[in-house]
Amino acid sequence: MNRKVFVAGLAVTLPLVGLMLVSLGRDPHKVESPLLGRPAPPFSLRPIGGGEPVTLESLRGKTVVVNFWATWCVPCVDEHPVLTAAPQRYGSEVVFLGVVYEDEEPTVQSFLREHGAAYPSLVDEGGKVSIAYGIYGVPETYFIAPDGTIVSKYVGPLRRDLLDGFVQEAQARTVTRRSDAR
Amino acid sequence: MKRTAVLLVLLLAPLAAAQTPPDHTPVDLAHAESIAGPPRAARLTGAALEAEAKHIAAVLRCPVCQGLSVGDSPSAMATNMRQQIRELVAAGFDENQILSYFEASYGEFVRLQPPLRGVNWLVWIAPGLGLLLGLGVVSWVLRGASAETSETPAAVAATGPAVDVVPDPLPDDPALAKAVLRVRELAYGWPGGVRPRKA
Repeated sequence: MNRKVFVAGLAVTLPLVGLMLVSLGRDPHKVESPLLGRPAPPFSLRPIGGGEPVTLESLRGKTVVVNFWATWCVPCVDEHPVLTAAPQRYGSEVVFLGVVYEDEEPTVQSFLREHGAAYPSLVDEGGKVSIAYGIYGVPETYFIAPDGTIVSKYVGPLRRDLLDGFVQEAQARTVTRRSDAR
Repeated sequence: MKRTAVLLVLLLAPLAAAQTPPDHTPVDLAHAESIAGPPRAARLTGAALEAEAKHIAAVLRCPVCQGLSVGDSPSAMATNMRQQIRELVAAGFDENQILSYFEASYGEFVRLQPPLRGVNWLVWIAPGLGLLLGLGVVSWVLRGASAETSETPAAVAATGPAVDVVPDPLPDDPALAKAVLRVRELAYGWPGGVRPRKA
């Protein structure tokens, strides 16, 4: 065996293999949100079908779940029953909001009539809020603690157990703060 | 005069509307300022504004069509971002501030040109380093090869035998050595591939 060729080959392949091993188990498409742990961007959006605008600021003191969705998004349709059933389980301490992403208002209204609506779905004109929240696609869901901090973000259709876990995590931020204050 | 003005408005209104996406609400400048600081550049208008907005859109990645810049992407998200860029440029935010504004939402990934900080240095210097390393390896291997070929009969006749080089070296691999001997036999006429001793 030619030792020089062997050494040169190792010098090239070992770093590449090392890089591949480090990346094993990591999703190359996953991009961490820079908003985690930071104040949620403010918004004031009108609900589908009309009514007073809903502002994030007015919900301070409650846990807020903001779900970006669209009627043309199949996983969004899959998770819709989970989100629709949730407000009844959590009561007034947790507020659920839908933000419609790149969709037509009549289509959304028709969808909600057919599949049910348990919380407001808001119109994001010009995609302003979608951009502020760093939306890459739908569904994406943000969990905001009562102090207005984004605690977690979930990309993909929510299951009940996942939703419960994230909501509890956002609510726990309150508990942590209360014990800090004592 | 009045008639001319009305005519101009009617003619130019569709053009203006075409620049702004339907159902658009202006970007929240207060929110932008809270992220990027107060505007640092001059408020641009007209061709200067469009040129600057186009330049910035070209260095931002479309979140939907991630292989394309915001300037090139046909997606609705990119259209909305282009409009926001225009509004921020018109409000006097400079390029770095606008990039920071979008980076606050999407992270560094939204920049098509990774900023020169932290591990990003690797992206910029690795290709050049790789080229230098490759040239070094090629040079090292060729130098070894030229040392082996300097013992051909023609080379020895021209320069004399090399003092430091083992005459007629063979590879370590037995199969390869056998092949080299065969080549020498055929090429130089050496019996068995071994250089004949000088009488």
